[in-house]
Amino acid sequence: MKKKLLSILLSATMAAAMLAGCGNSSSQNTPTQDPAPAQTETPSNTETPANNETPAESTGGTLVYWSMWEATEPQAQVIQAAVDKYMADTGVTVDLQFKGRTGQREGLEAALAAGQQIDIFDEDVDRVNGTWGSYLMDLESLVAETGYEQKASPALMQIARDVAGGTLKSIPYQASVFAFFYNQDLFDQAGITAVPTTWSEFLDVCQKLKDAGIVPITCDDAYIDCMIGYHLGRLGGEDKVVDIVTNGKWDDPIVKQMAEDYEELASKGYFSPNLAQNVWPAGQNTELALGGAAMYLNGSWLPNEVKNMTGPDFRWGCFSYPAVDGGVDGTEALNVSNQVLAINKDSKMAKEAFNLITYITQGEFDAMMAEQAVSIPTDTTNTTWPKLMANVKPVYEGITAEGRYSWAVGVESNNDITPIIKENFTKLCAGSMTAQEFVDAMIAASK
Amino acid sequence: MKKSKSVLFLFLAPAVLIFLLVFVYPIIRTVLMSFFKIDAVTDSISAWQFTGVENYIKLASTSIFRSSMLNLLKIWLFGGIIVMSLALLFAVILTSGIRFKKFFRAVIYMPNIVSAVALATMWLQYVYSPQYGLFKDMFSALGLDGLAKIQWLSSDHKFTALLIAYCFGMVGYHMLIFMSGIERISPDLYEAARIDGANKIKQFRYMTLPLLKGIFKTNITMWSITSVGFFLWSQIFSTVTADSQTITPMVYMYLQTFGAGNAVTERNAGLGAAVGVLLSICVVLVFTVCNRLLKDDDLEF
Repeated sequence: MKKKLLSILLSATMAAAMLAGCGNSSSQNTPTQDPAPAQTETPSNTETPANNETPAESTGGTLVYWSMWEATEPQAQVIQAAVDKYMADTGVTVDLQFKGRTGQREGLEAALAAGQQIDIFDEDVDRVNGTWGSYLMDLESLVAETGYEQKASPALMQIARDVAGGTLKSIPYQASVFAFFYNQDLFDQAGITAVPTTWSEFLDVCQKLKDAGIVPITCDDAYIDCMIGYHLGRLGGEDKVVDIVTNGKWDDPIVKQMAEDYEELASKGYFSPNLAQNVWPAGQNTELALGGAAMYLNGSWLPNEVKNMTGPDFRWGCFSYPAVDGGVDGTEALNVSNQVLAINKDSKMAKEAFNLITYITQGEFDAMMAEQAVSIPTDTTNTTWPKLMANVKPVYEGITAEGRYSWAVGVESNNDITPIIKENFTKLCAGSMTAQEFVDAMIAASK
Repeated sequence: MKKSKSVLFLFLAPAVLIFLLVFVYPIIRTVLMSFFKIDAVTDSISAWQFTGVENYIKLASTSIFRSSMLNLLKIWLFGGIIVMSLALLFAVILTSGIRFKKFFRAVIYMPNIVSAVALATMWLQYVYSPQYGLFKDMFSALGLDGLAKIQWLSSDHKFTALLIAYCFGMVGYHMLIFMSGIERISPDLYEAARIDGANKIKQFRYMTLPLLKGIFKTNITMWSITSVGFFLWSQIFSTVTADSQTITPMVYMYLQTFGAGNAVTERNAGLGAAVGVLLSICVVLVFTVCNRLLKDDDLEF
């Protein structure tokens, strides 16, 4: 009898556990905060840009937002603050989930394909519009209706349209530019008064630094491909770079010229002796940030990443990758990147979602994002840049949608060849491979 | 005892159902996927494009995939020899009645408790650092300037650096398995052997080793499975973009299935599935060969 009772009890427990496990998961995804009481009027806080344009809907529903950031990152904290304010103002609940970069990359598409409710998501502009393009809502009418573009960067908006095939399907935030970042104190010490705009000026700068006993350039394995990408891009444009790496056209004359230019840099001793073995973030942290090298080709997120090592008094400089003689692109062509926010085409709360996007990307929270994440403001009326970003401003202001390069100027477009480019180009920069050996190795590898 | 078939069915059904859903269905789906071109891993079957064995042909003709298989073979073979030798040596020493056995066992096992990310970062940014690295300082202090100058993380030595770091973290785990095997052997057998005049080396050669056949089989199978899944260490040793010295088939599979870290690249989940199928075949092969070579059912003790 006792056994029977025990078995009934155990079976009941198992059934209960299974039911709980199979239950609706939404109950587990507790919203970040309890919803504020619903409001029927437009919020009175005029500092928040969204409020001027779109009357806040107080449907009392729940928006689900998957973000690419980790909850501890400054970007996430600003987004959290914006979401809190939005919920308090509108009464709409937001289920904000920080997935991290790999979590977003691995999980978002599966969830979208399964029809899971995700109203808003964010990631890099190219990935959102390229990889997840079929899940995006067209935002043109919402943008026109709310007058959003009055305070948006025309270049960033145009880039967002270009990557979506001519229509707007995502809203940019946290823009960055990829350029040479340098230590202004070391430039001053070497007597350099102007940033280089051409390759010969760049060589002069390197020589002056070397003469002053300063290591001119360092890099890490994670970003070294960007140097070859930029140089090939300057010589032949991005389309040609993509053609070379995807179709194996390494016998193109611009490859040889690039290799010879870099062989010259290596032979003159302009690279850090540690370059061949710098695994990220060794170069940026132990060399550039600590004053051991003067220049590093990287994104404008760099000053933020190393701010704990450089301290607040580090004087940053920034210049666009120099133009190369006989090349087709000048210094105006840049790899401009940014995160974007997009709305799921199946979202039933598009207006609410767009309103939240406006909270995050304009006004108070855009300014907060610039300040806390040391990034470039997206809202054109936020004219105060973080101190560490001041020198990026002249480079950023030169960006155009037409002159926009994608990541590493397309040199990493072919997964099968990227590791081989990285290995051989590192050897070229370290001086353990000649220009001709580089070209031969790449031709052999792409056969 | 009276058996009721319906009760048997009732109790077995959930387990069988879950097994079919969680194991059998994904295996069949993965094998099927490997014959198709598929953009996203979650695409519906109607969006798959049949390509026959093209994915396998592409893998065979892609030099970076061949490099990744070679790297995996080297990790499995050389890493296996290093790890098994050290693990067995430590296991024999620790079970020989030395003092502070528990302390040494804990110390050798310690790397297994530390997160692999932290461990790999320590090796990368400290031990191998060309500026203030442990190896550089240690070899310089010993006057071995040739060794101190080795660029551990350059492409010529990166694989060796990865292998040393990985093996360091794996010895403790396999040592514990060996220890449990050795402790299973009755001390009476050793005592009898000692009375018959067998010294420690003879005891090890003619008693411990033959009686550890089954444990060897377990260790080799475990080692093969963990080697085939080699991913994290490779990722940390070549952040963001893969590296020809440290790429493994799992990393290649990830790149093909989810795309690269920064650049938006073409994806083919079918190719990723083909890599998965090949790796599974490798594990089954190793397991079959082990079973043939290491028969442990001829000894009872």
